[in-house]
Amino acid sequence: MSVEASKVLSCIQCGECTGICPESGRTPFNVRRLIRKKLLHFSVEDGLPWYCTSCGACTIKCPRRVKPSEAIIELRSAFVEDGRVPATVQKALENTMMQRNPWGRSRSKRAAWAEKSDMQIPHVAETKEKRLLFSCCILAYDPRCMVIPVNVARIFRKAGLEFGILGGEEACCGNEIRRMGETGLFEDLVEENKTGFDEYGVREIITLSPHCMNTLKKEYDLNVKVRHYTEVVAELIGEGRLTFGGSYEKKVIYHDPCFLGRQNGILDEPRSILHAVQGLQLMEFRQSRKDSLCCEGGGGRMFVEVECTTQRNSETRVIEASERQADVIATACPFCVMTLEDPATDKGQVVREVSEILAEVL
Amino acid sequence: MHILVFTKRVPATQEEELRIQGDGKLDLSRLPFKMNDYDNYAVEAALRIVEKSGGSVTAITLGDKESDEVLGRAIAMGANDGLLLEQPEVLHDPYARAFLISSFIKKENIAFDAVFTGVQSEDDQFGAVGGILAALLNLPYSSMVIGIDEVDEAGAVVRRELEGGIHERIRVKAPCVLSIQSGINEPRYVSIMGIRKASSVERKVFKADSYGGGGSPLIRVVRWVYPPKQGGATMLRGELESVCKDLLGILKEKGVWQ
Repeated sequence: MSVEASKVLSCIQCGECTGICPESGRTPFNVRRLIRKKLLHFSVEDGLPWYCTSCGACTIKCPRRVKPSEAIIELRSAFVEDGRVPATVQKALENTMMQRNPWGRSRSKRAAWAEKSDMQIPHVAETKEKRLLFSCCILAYDPRCMVIPVNVARIFRKAGLEFGILGGEEACCGNEIRRMGETGLFEDLVEENKTGFDEYGVREIITLSPHCMNTLKKEYDLNVKVRHYTEVVAELIGEGRLTFGGSYEKKVIYHDPCFLGRQNGILDEPRSILHAVQGLQLMEFRQSRKDSLCCEGGGGRMFVEVECTTQRNSETRVIEASERQADVIATACPFCVMTLEDPATDKGQVVREVSEILAEVL
Repeated sequence: MHILVFTKRVPATQEEELRIQGDGKLDLSRLPFKMNDYDNYAVEAALRIVEKSGGSVTAITLGDKESDEVLGRAIAMGANDGLLLEQPEVLHDPYARAFLISSFIKKENIAFDAVFTGVQSEDDQFGAVGGILAALLNLPYSSMVIGIDEVDEAGAVVRRELEGGIHERIRVKAPCVLSIQSGINEPRYVSIMGIRKASSVERKVFKADSYGGGGSPLIRVVRWVYPPKQGGATMLRGELESVCKDLLGILKEKGVWQ
C-alpha cells in the first residue's frame, strides 16, 4: 500500500479549504466535497479534480494539516494510472515523455533562446562557479516568454554574475507533471535532472519560473542552493552590484504568483526590485502577498480547459488593475504572464514579467 | 477474438530538423522515437473489442532490439503479450516487411482471428503492409477502417473511409486483416508506472533471418535527398512597416486582399 502525502482521515469538514479555494463556489469544483469522497472511497467524477490550480491556499489554511492539494494530486494519479485523463493533459504528458517538455517541442532546441540572443552563454560545465540558470519549458519554447531568459541573462551579465545552462540536457522540472498526477514520469524527470546536476558538479541553481523553483527546492532532495531569479536580483541590488540607469515612469501593480509568494514566501524580493527602479510607482492589488488571487495557470491548468460560467480570476485581476489606473501589471511567473495577458490584451492592459521592466532600464 | 496487432517504432520527426548525412543516409541519432501513431489506434481498437467480447491481443513488432519499447507500451495499454521479430537492419520495403511477418505467422503457427495494422507508418508512409500481408496470407482485407460496428465469431462489420466523406459499411469474414485509420478511437493514456509494470511481462524474441530475413526487397532506398529548391518565394526585407506595406501591396496585386 502506497503512503499518501495527504491526511484525509484527519479532515473535520470544517470548510476552510473551500472558503479559500479560488475555484470552489464559482465552478463545479468543491475541495471539501472531494476530500469527503476520497475519505469514503466514493467515486469522483472524471472532470472534477482538474479544476484545482495547485495554488496551495487550502493546504496552508487547513487547521488539520490534511493537505487537500496533495489529496487532489492523489485523485489525479488514480485517473492517470487508469488512463482517464483529459485529451489535452494526455498530450502534455506524452509530449513530456518524448521531448521532455509538455509542448512537445524538440529537446535539441531547448537553448534556442540563448542561441538567438547576442550573448555567448556557456554550458554550466564550462563555468567556474557551477551556477546553473534553469530555463523552464515555457520560457525555452513559448515565443511570448523566450525574451525572459534573455533578459535575466543580460541582468546577470551586467552584475558580473557568472552562470551557465544545460541546454538540451535540461529536462522539464516536473512540477506540473507531478501535479497532473503522473508520479512515475515525475520520478523519471527528477532522476534525469539530478544526474545532469551531479555530472556537471552544479553547486547552485537559479530558476526563472517559481514552479521550477518550488519542485527543485522541495521535491528533488538536492544538496544545492535553489533560488528564484528575483531573490538573486534583489541580493545583487542590495549589494550594490546592480544598478539601473534608466527610469520607468509608470504605475506598476504587482501580482504575486502562488508558487513564489504563498507557497515559498518570496514576497518582498520582487517588490524591492521594482522599488529600485527610478520613477516606478508600485501599487498593490486588494488581494496581495500571501492572499494573492490565483491566476489559474498552475497545477496543470495550462493544459486543461475547464468549464467556468463566471469571470476568470485573471480577468478579475486585469479589471482591478484598469480600475485602479495601473499602467502595467507586473508579475514574476511565466504562467501568470500568459494567463493575465489573455484578458489584458482584450482590455488594453499591459502585462510585464519583472525582468522585462528591468531590461528597459538596464 | 484473438487479435494480432502490428506495431512499429518510428522516429518522432514533427518538431525535428531532419539531417541527411554525406553518405545520403538520414541522421536519426538525435531523434526521439515512439510507437507509430496509426498503430496506437490499432492497439486501442483491438483492446476495446477484447475488453467487450473477450479474447486476447498480441502485439508484434518487426525491428531492432529498441523496438521492444513499443511492445512495452502496447502491453501497458492492455495487450496480453508481445513478440519481437528482431531485424537489425531497417526494412523500408513494405513487401519485404509483409513477407517476413507472414512467414513468421505461418512458421510459428500463430493462431488469430484478425490482424490489425495501422493504415500506414509515419516514417515510410507506404500504407501497403496490411494489404500485402492479407494477400500473402490469402485473407480478406479491409483498409482505412474508421469504425468497427459489430464483431462476432464469423467476422466483423466495419466502416471504411472513402473519398468525399462517405463511409462504406462492409462485412469482413474472419480471419481477416484490417488496417486501422487514425481517429477511430481515442487511445488511452499509458503512464510511466504502467510501462514499468509492463516491463516485467516477458516478450518473446525471434530472429528475422529464421523467416527468410528481409526476403528479396522489391524497393531499395538509394539515398535521401532534400526537395529541390525552386523559385517562386519572395523574401521581404527591411523595417517592419515597409515589409507590411510591401506585403499588402502583393496581396492586393494577387487579389487575395482588396
